Amino acid sequence: MSSGIPPWRTTAAAPTSVYSGHATPAYTTVQARRSITTAKAPNSASTSASSRQASTETAPRKQRVEWPEPVRLYVQRSFAPENRLPGVERGEMETKLRAVITEAAENNMLDKIDWSNLPLPQVMVQNDRNKVLASPSVSNWTSFYSALSPLKSNTNGLEDVSKKRKSVEYQGDANNCPPWRKTNNQSAFEDRVTYAPTDKRQRIDLKNTSKSKANLEMRRKRFEEPQASNGSSSSSRGASPALTANSGPVVGTCQELEKNYFRLTAAPKPETVRPLHILHKTLDVLKKKWKKDNNYTYICDQFKSLRQDLTVQHIKNEFTVSVYEIHARIALEKGDLGEYNQCQTQLRALYAQQLGGHPTEFRAYRILYFIHTRNWTAMNDALADLTPADKRDPAVKHALDVRSALALGNYHRFFQLYLDTPNMGAYLMDMFVDRERLSALAAICKAYKPDVKIRFITEELGFESDEQSARFVLDHSAEDLLQEKEGSVRLVTGPRAGQLFEAAKADAHRIVDIKGQI
Amino acid sequence: MGSIFDDFKDGQKLGSGHRLAAALTPVSTSANPGRLQSFYYFSNAAHVSSDLRYSLFQANGIKLPKQEQNSWVDIFAAYWSAVGELVRFEEAPSRASWVKVFNAWKETANQLIRGYSTGGLQAWTIPCLYVVGRYLRHFARRADAELSSQEADGFGDGFQDDVSSGLEKNAKLEEATRVLNRMFTLCLTDRSPIEDSRKWGIYDTTNLLFKTYFKLNTVGLSKNLLRALNAQSADLPDLSAFPKSHTVTFKYYIGVIHFLDENYAEAEQHLAEAWKMCHRNAMKNRELILTYLIPCHLVTTHTLPSKKLLAPFPRLEKLYRPLCNCIKSGDLGGFDAAMSAGEEEFVKRRIYLPLERGRDIALRNLFRKVFIAGGFEEPKDGQPPIRRTRVPVAEFAAAVRIGTHADERSRVDIDEVECLLSNLIYKGLMKGYIARERGMVVLSKGGSAFPGTGV
Repeated sequence: MSSGIPPWRTTAAAPTSVYSGHATPAYTTVQARRSITTAKAPNSASTSASSRQASTETAPRKQRVEWPEPVRLYVQRSFAPENRLPGVERGEMETKLRAVITEAAENNMLDKIDWSNLPLPQVMVQNDRNKVLASPSVSNWTSFYSALSPLKSNTNGLEDVSKKRKSVEYQGDANNCPPWRKTNNQSAFEDRVTYAPTDKRQRIDLKNTSKSKANLEMRRKRFEEPQASNGSSSSSRGASPALTANSGPVVGTCQELEKNYFRLTAAPKPETVRPLHILHKTLDVLKKKWKKDNNYTYICDQFKSLRQDLTVQHIKNEFTVSVYEIHARIALEKGDLGEYNQCQTQLRALYAQQLGGHPTEFRAYRILYFIHTRNWTAMNDALADLTPADKRDPAVKHALDVRSALALGNYHRFFQLYLDTPNMGAYLMDMFVDRERLSALAAICKAYKPDVKIRFITEELGFESDEQSARFVLDHSAEDLLQEKEGSVRLVTGPRAGQLFEAAKADAHRIVDIKGQI
Repeated sequence: MGSIFDDFKDGQKLGSGHRLAAALTPVSTSANPGRLQSFYYFSNAAHVSSDLRYSLFQANGIKLPKQEQNSWVDIFAAYWSAVGELVRFEEAPSRASWVKVFNAWKETANQLIRGYSTGGLQAWTIPCLYVVGRYLRHFARRADAELSSQEADGFGDGFQDDVSSGLEKNAKLEEATRVLNRMFTLCLTDRSPIEDSRKWGIYDTTNLLFKTYFKLNTVGLSKNLLRALNAQSADLPDLSAFPKSHTVTFKYYIGVIHFLDENYAEAEQHLAEAWKMCHRNAMKNRELILTYLIPCHLVTTHTLPSKKLLAPFPRLEKLYRPLCNCIKSGDLGGFDAAMSAGEEEFVKRRIYLPLERGRDIALRNLFRKVFIAGGFEEPKDGQPPIRRTRVPVAEFAAAVRIGTHADERSRVDIDEVECLLSNLIYKGLMKGYIARERGMVVLSKGGSAFPGTGV
């Protein structure tokens, strides 16, 4: 990272020159401002972004700059709660407000602007968003900005900070971005994006830098701050999808019932999104198809697109819950734990909002799932989540009993519970039942002498028949462990058998690794 | 702690990192209630840098290399703004905001990090990093609390396939971890000779990160730190060379991390070291260590805490005593009741799972009573009496019936009793074997049927 300009520098510079329309690189403008402010000195000469924040606010109080009455009224109106706009965050509004006033002051325009008719900063923020696709020079405000442009970006404190961050970050600090930011975070969408292979430019971009955490961080920054990318429509990434994403849900117009799943790489178009009443029909169709064809690949794909349409339209209701529940059940049935786990995670959040559905059923699955993955930390969390009412639910109680039976090595109880599992929990238990059979056999071989009837194994370990249990024993140990004596097949116990099962058990208990696990 | 400038002056003159760090401690003391205000009002936004340059250096007659001096001025300028945000809580609470404090403080932290990485700050000043890191975490938590009280839930950004993933209720704290992480790297990767190295700060910053990860429920990330530490371990001084306050906390966290992974043996080792080194008067820390050390001990050595050990810790006594009594007397029913009575607390402290294993010990004690009640075999020609080592399974079943307070009609499943026996044998709590055909347990002779208990 020592020589040459890394590719992300160039892209990273784009947001800084936001309203300017100039091709000036970010850092030049930043320096320009410093010289001006020191000369003018209404602001601190300090490079600190926060001291600058403080200064604009403390300055009026200290009477260093006499703000005219209209300006003060304008500021008051901006902060008035009744003028608050949904979707425009206070922080953005403040940044904008600060920018407007500072620029006016630095250009001696304080008296020339008609403050009482000037749009409030939150309105500007929203207008800017709406105008992304239009030419930036059309609006009054953007032209006003163009006049003041070289100064604008300097006043954005966030950029100042991020520049500082960069300078240190790029010294090879690998630990900077905590891993959860990269995988499991809702604001880190762009980290999970794989760009459509049709757009070569983007692909190359990605290829050059995809391994760079710093680059990811920059991209994240850009996506997070809509106002920073407003004017960048001329840049390669074009209209940043984040803009429309933040400005509200899409309302779909698509009338097709079925749709293949594609991961979004740009804001969804309404004509490809199905509205709720269509989605209701879709679900019915999918349920029928699943019963008829049992084609999991197809159904899973369809459910994913169904979920996506719900998400982009911000539909969060009982229907959403039932879509996730049905998808989770189908995934369970097919043993697709990755997909199941995604649904489970979402369901947990949905249940927290009391939207109906079958929370206890899925809480029980969740516990069984953590038994399977042997994720004790998550198990602790899951236990902590349960309310006394949950614990009285038969399914949850069953799952808790399973957990406790296993924790104590009580295989007798465990296999009784296994044979009597409510709902679809048996699909989950199937995944770890063999593992637990091996543990039980290891214990039995150590504790019993000289042998036990195979019938006993069949009954204790929940096998369906003596043949099945004999097969299981043979699959995991040696042939001579089964002997026929006094008219019944017996498992010869003892140290050797114990060792064989101990080894098989250790093998089966290796960490379970599942795609999409929390 | 004097005025901020006095602390700075004394720190620099004495070369005392902790004195210097006191200057960056953003609190007023009872002895000096206007400490923050007077610092904030000594200057204003326009002149703060030049005023600082004068007050920190010229007025005190402190001479440092230019670059280092500039770094301090930048740090204190950021600090000054943060103090400004803090002062507001007293003067204009309606305009005060923890988010602003956090942002300003984060800037202070960034300036400090920059001071170390490129600004020539010396390694002896590293306690400044501790103080700033500690308050960064503190302010982040206040800011998150403030944000969550203001904001209704949003829909997240609309680009995911799925509805939502987790709540952003710890956004600022997560932001803080990124800064803390840089502090960590800053300490770890210093290549100066060890006498004058930031490496001495490594455990303190690690502890701060551990603490934050625990708070964020992302304990898994601690392992990344440990991996980084291990990779550098050749260059690090031995742990014993570090201040005890750093090592005790570090050992404690390592112990708890193992504890959560159910590696009780290793957990016990680290926790025991922390326990031994912990200052006798640090009651809260000692209590925390014991909270995890007791369950470890129960699992690894099957021993219970004595009354004397817990006497200074009434909370632990209350938490553990009922369970201990039931384990001791082999009262299975009582044990189950005590577990469910304490469940909420146990789960919250993440000690439920190891404590649950105490049931095995309770069961062992119960079965041991069966063995003792069985008495002795007929003595043979003057030999010392031998205990009856062949015990019918039915007798153990009767004991389970008593132990679980089963009423007359409820059935005790003989197969389940066998399963319990087989588990105790498997785990080495009992020695012997089950002869299933004869419904008999054959225990080992010569005082080793229940290892470690004298019979």
